[in-house]
Amino acid sequence: MTPDEQSVFKDKLAIDQDGIIEKGLIAGISPRSIYNRLKTEDRAKLILTATVVITVAVLFFIILFISYNSLDAITQIGMWEFLTGASWSPGSGAYGASSLIVGTFLVTGGAILFALPVGLGVAIYINDVASPRVKSVLKPLCELFAGIPSVVYGFLGIVVLVPLLLDIFPNHLSYGYSWLAGSLVLGIMALPTIISVSQDSLAAVPRSYREASMAMGATKWETTRKVVMHSAVSGIAAAAILGIGRAIGETMAVMMVTGNAANFPEPLWNIFDRVRTLTGSIALEMGESVHGSLHYSALFLLALVLLVIVLTVNLSARRIVRRTKMKMGEIAKPSRETKIAQMMSPITKSFEAVSDRYKETAVKIAIYAFIFAFAFMISSLFIGTYGGLAIGVLAATILFISKKLSKMLGPKHVQKVVYSSLGVVVLAVVAILVVFLAIIFVRGMPAMSMDFITSPPSHSGAEGGIWPAIVGTLELMLGTALIAFPLGVCSGVYMSQYAKDSKFVRVARQAIDALKGTPSIIFGLFGMSMLVIMFGWGYSLIGGCITLALMVLPTIIKTTEEAVSAVPAELSEASAAMGASKWQTISKVVLPAAMGGVITGFILSVGRAIGETAPIMFTAAVAFKTTVGFALFEPIMALPYHLYYLVSEVPGATDNQYGTAMVLMMIVIVLFAAASLIRRTYNKKVGW
Amino acid sequence: MDINIPIRKNCITALIGPSGCGKSTLIRVFNRMCDLVEGTKTEGIVFFDGENICKPNTDVLALRKKVGMIFQKPNPFPMTIKDNITYGPKLHGVKDQKELDEIVEESLKKAALWEEVKDRLHVSALSLSGGQQQRLCIARALSINPEVILMDEPTSALDPMATAKIEELSLELKKNYTVVTVTHNMQQARRISDYTGFMYLGRLEEFGRTKDIFENPQNELTKRYVSGIFG
Repeated sequence: MTPDEQSVFKDKLAIDQDGIIEKGLIAGISPRSIYNRLKTEDRAKLILTATVVITVAVLFFIILFISYNSLDAITQIGMWEFLTGASWSPGSGAYGASSLIVGTFLVTGGAILFALPVGLGVAIYINDVASPRVKSVLKPLCELFAGIPSVVYGFLGIVVLVPLLLDIFPNHLSYGYSWLAGSLVLGIMALPTIISVSQDSLAAVPRSYREASMAMGATKWETTRKVVMHSAVSGIAAAAILGIGRAIGETMAVMMVTGNAANFPEPLWNIFDRVRTLTGSIALEMGESVHGSLHYSALFLLALVLLVIVLTVNLSARRIVRRTKMKMGEIAKPSRETKIAQMMSPITKSFEAVSDRYKETAVKIAIYAFIFAFAFMISSLFIGTYGGLAIGVLAATILFISKKLSKMLGPKHVQKVVYSSLGVVVLAVVAILVVFLAIIFVRGMPAMSMDFITSPPSHSGAEGGIWPAIVGTLELMLGTALIAFPLGVCSGVYMSQYAKDSKFVRVARQAIDALKGTPSIIFGLFGMSMLVIMFGWGYSLIGGCITLALMVLPTIIKTTEEAVSAVPAELSEASAAMGASKWQTISKVVLPAAMGGVITGFILSVGRAIGETAPIMFTAAVAFKTTVGFALFEPIMALPYHLYYLVSEVPGATDNQYGTAMVLMMIVIVLFAAASLIRRTYNKKVGW
Repeated sequence: MDINIPIRKNCITALIGPSGCGKSTLIRVFNRMCDLVEGTKTEGIVFFDGENICKPNTDVLALRKKVGMIFQKPNPFPMTIKDNITYGPKLHGVKDQKELDEIVEESLKKAALWEEVKDRLHVSALSLSGGQQQRLCIARALSINPEVILMDEPTSALDPMATAKIEELSLELKKNYTVVTVTHNMQQARRISDYTGFMYLGRLEEFGRTKDIFENPQNELTKRYVSGIFG
């Protein structure tokens, strides 16, 4: 041991009064081995920390690049004019984004309005009624549908939903492409997330609450409605807002079915009108805009607005969840009360007492008002204002009567009615999703042939095969995995095992959450402005891989953190008690035990990544390419972009459209099956 | 199973015995909470008010209104103290705010909690201490005016001070209610109960006046258990 090493070592241990280290007297272990161990320990921690720093830096750079590129637009158009201007027409120099912002909120709002109640209903059914067997079918089904690429949903919207809507409302829809279609597709896409998140929070409600309620003579449904949902409200709110955040940032599916007319619906609740969203505008126009022009910069400003909206939504979600938890006493209130709060406390207290008394009445009035307004808006589109008013009153009356009726029926019958209607909802949801899958596979079959798989496209993709797109997608998958796995897993391990409540960790957590909610098209713009333009790589495989890897990074960090944290503390204690260092414990005991969960989460996120279109359409993917090879700095073809291209640019390529969608779905399903297989094997092996 | 046990009105009946002997299972039959466990099967007859409550067509909701239950760990709902108490009455159709307020006060007084919480009925019940939470659960059970109160090891999660309060409260409660309590703690059974049943491996080994069970047990097993030779 050199003197240099010795001094480091002494620093570390701060014991050496008796020259123990020089003599090597610590329990017969040589000083050198201890020194090496400490060095490994330091290195491991350093590497893990570095990966977290990279993640934080990514968010910083995304904000930097998007803002920097939108500077021109801010200075030349002006923020106020940009946000409030009603006309968006880049060709004639009009950059008013208000209709796009409103359009975004309308489509999202419509989607949540139907997806939240339906999703919550399905979650309640899974939690209360479904037998373990039904549960074991529904839950993986949910995961599978969460994995269907957005471009496929958009494609299904075009081939199934739009014609269907035209059939149902022939007098009201001129194109079929509409706000209604957008909200329906978006809502169906959001369903799996809403179902699984709210079911998790329902299931997390302690059994003892249920027992206490049932012991007082409440039925299962009464218990669910009044106690379980009350306790799970923060989780359900989180599910809703998570759904909203994701829906606002959704690009491909929305763009494909909303009709993309940059105007306000007339009247504002006309669900049959065409609308255009922020994401849709960016994706549609970025390809046409000239780099450095005002138009180009204005699109980045749209992205900035989108980013601000999404971050605000996610941030407020966290606050709402925290506040509800605080109110219910699940987490402690901050102990320091401000002076103002103290002075106000008699007032707030009496207000609470009053509000408590009238809370129920207020909620009741709100529900009736909502039902009335909703019925009025929808029906007035068909039968005019007066007819709408009549229908609104009718709807409120029906609600009133059904409430009275439920009281007469008694709690047991109400439960029966509620649970069986929920059963119908579940059946409908499952049916829709299964039909979606069936359509792709039935219509995709005719296109399948050895030729289709193994030959390059011809006639702009209307003829020929998709071999380059398959190879490109697999290359993207491999590259994304190679970049995202080490970064994501290391950061996840750090966040689970090393993170303390320091400023750095808090910032990192916020950054990871923010990145997780960031729309995929923002990653696309970031990749484009940095990799394609600044680094001068042009459209390239590596650019696509990096962009996708950054996009899935936060999800991988989260799933890794969860899987590692789920390893029982007894295991690491047992290892530590035998003299293992922290890193030895982590690498030899904790990580192997958590590997099943880590890999499952990783595969699922990669599966989601390769279905993405928005991040690669401006960084890597081109419409046409005949050669196949592994060239990092060459552009590639990819299945999702190819499908989008065929659907939007190549009329009459129906067979190849379905065929491409089918191959893409098959890859997703294979990944999904692999993930659940791994999970099952590992669960059996470790048994917790 | 070989159990034949009378539960006397306005008395405290205690069930004692080692873990896993079936005390809690038995008490959960009395208000059919056993139904919540999947695949439960009950045999035999339990008479309450002249009705066999184990019949399949029993109205379990009405039964549970009459036979309340206190659980091992305090389980107040994550709502305000007031909402915890009004939950049951609202469930069974009380709507009038004034009446609800009266029920809140009365139930909390009966549970000896009123003085401690009357100024903060609008705070979360989870902010109370463990002992207070358990008394709140008792108040919640009392809010719907049951006839019988089942207690499933109500003090096993509490400290000695809080336990003493609950025991005191039980003695007060038996004036108006019939109490059945399951306990791990032999001394507790001895202190508060009028009748005691000793269970072992799913059988009721001995039942009688508490004094007799502890001072003059007839059964060899009971003798060994109450004298602490096994347990």
